[in-house]
Amino acid sequence: MPMINGSGLYGLKSCFPYPAKLVADSGIQSSSVHFRESDMIPRFSVSETPGVTGDSMDIDGDPFHHSDANPKILEADVELSRHRISVFLSTHTAYELLPESGKVVALDVSLPVKQAFHILYEQGISVAPLWDHNVGRFVGILSPLDFILILRELGNHGSDLTEEELETHAISAWKEGKLQLTRKFDTNGPLNPRRLIDAGPHDSLKDVALKLLQNKVATIPIISQDGSIPQLLHLASLTGVLKCICRHFKHSPASLPILQQPICSIPLGTWVPKIGESNGRPFAMLRANASLSDALSLLVQAEVSAVPIVDENDSLLDIYCRSDITALAKDRAYAQIHLNELSIHQALQLTQEASASYGFFNGQRCHMCLGSDPLHKVMDRLAIPGVRRLVIVEAGSKRVEGIISLTDLFRFLIG
Amino acid sequence: MNNSHCQDQETPVVAGFEVPTSPDASYNNIYTATEDDGRDPPIVPQHLQHTVLSYSYPKNGDPAARLPDPQHVVLNHLYIENREAPRSVVALGFSHRFRSKYVNVVLYKPVQRRGSSIS
Repeated sequence: MPMINGSGLYGLKSCFPYPAKLVADSGIQSSSVHFRESDMIPRFSVSETPGVTGDSMDIDGDPFHHSDANPKILEADVELSRHRISVFLSTHTAYELLPESGKVVALDVSLPVKQAFHILYEQGISVAPLWDHNVGRFVGILSPLDFILILRELGNHGSDLTEEELETHAISAWKEGKLQLTRKFDTNGPLNPRRLIDAGPHDSLKDVALKLLQNKVATIPIISQDGSIPQLLHLASLTGVLKCICRHFKHSPASLPILQQPICSIPLGTWVPKIGESNGRPFAMLRANASLSDALSLLVQAEVSAVPIVDENDSLLDIYCRSDITALAKDRAYAQIHLNELSIHQALQLTQEASASYGFFNGQRCHMCLGSDPLHKVMDRLAIPGVRRLVIVEAGSKRVEGIISLTDLFRFLIG
Repeated sequence: MNNSHCQDQETPVVAGFEVPTSPDASYNNIYTATEDDGRDPPIVPQHLQHTVLSYSYPKNGDPAARLPDPQHVVLNHLYIENREAPRSVVALGFSHRFRSKYVNVVLYKPVQRRGSSIS
């Protein structure tokens, strides 16, 4: 059984003024409690701010008990920084996200899902747009979440398909079936999940970022409609947009004053709730000996994209992300294992072996930061490709204090 | 450059400064053999082999991750992946230029069974 920590001391520092409001997903059957990472923006109140004209700040009645920074200055800093970033994003286009010579891999929608799995693994990518020859355009995206859902479907009740049908089960058929599945528990999904969410190369970076946030997707294709032929140019993610921001403001840090603030003083990220919080719900973490199927359940139901793996002291050991699922394609591991017999520790080993065998230098898997780190440091780390979240840890003990993801950062920066 | 032919026709030759002709012994080129002419010309221009489509991004999180620029001569040519015959998936790729950047696209398609046309 997974050990989801609902009690115990977290040793939190005092620079934590904002009681975190958690919203539980109503459709969950399991007994452990989950939360939605995207709703996890702690709210803070501002008493009087006569000079502030912005109406994007949340104001509620929660007591504000931070002792250090002057709240009015903080508020003004946030507003100014947000405004400047907004201007930058509105005046630059998605064309800037393209590398000088980029590669993008697409899959035909009639490919069997199993083969798609292997292709993504061999190419070292986790996401690919889907091309439908019959309609002559891109119709969707295959992402790690699809594989997780497929594996759970197969694991749960062996599927209705015969072995041979599984071999040829096409992506298009899977997407049809998934529509039925997701309608059951994803009430917050995009309005029209069948329509491809994409952007053009001349769309502003702000539009791209907003599309990513509002549709809760990690990647959208940049497609140029050249006459009647759609040209796939790039797969855009918040990482690319953040890199543009960092590059642009690198030489004028004073123009974004909020960047100097430590992240514990900004309403950003998801924090482990304080001891004694009456409405505090557990922060999703798992032990290394928990089963893979529990991890996948968390990734799906809690709608988080990664789960920190901790030891008995809540110190960070590793992290399991949705994109790690493609490592199961190594030696067809997914066919031989039952999800609840494979521990997270073993699954993580597979990921490491997978990276090694393809000559990929995995680098650091868990990217961490301290609660006292300034925002610009956090932004620089999040701008590294492949890093979608940072785990906030206590110095020394590496005890998990919270998580900041790209989504959290962008919701804070552009609202 | 010394072109004695030119000199003969245009420039008046000064006595004592005529350009000597090559010694007859230096004319030792054999006639070209027929095996060079016997070969068919290549089916495809050789420069088309230099495609960057087989490259992948380095996985070390390098912020400057990009492929090498494709040669301009390979742009807008459709490539097919070279794999052994019994295969169920084929990779097609081509490189093109979008404004001043290069895009290398690879599409994986299923191969139809024998008896039906490949879509």
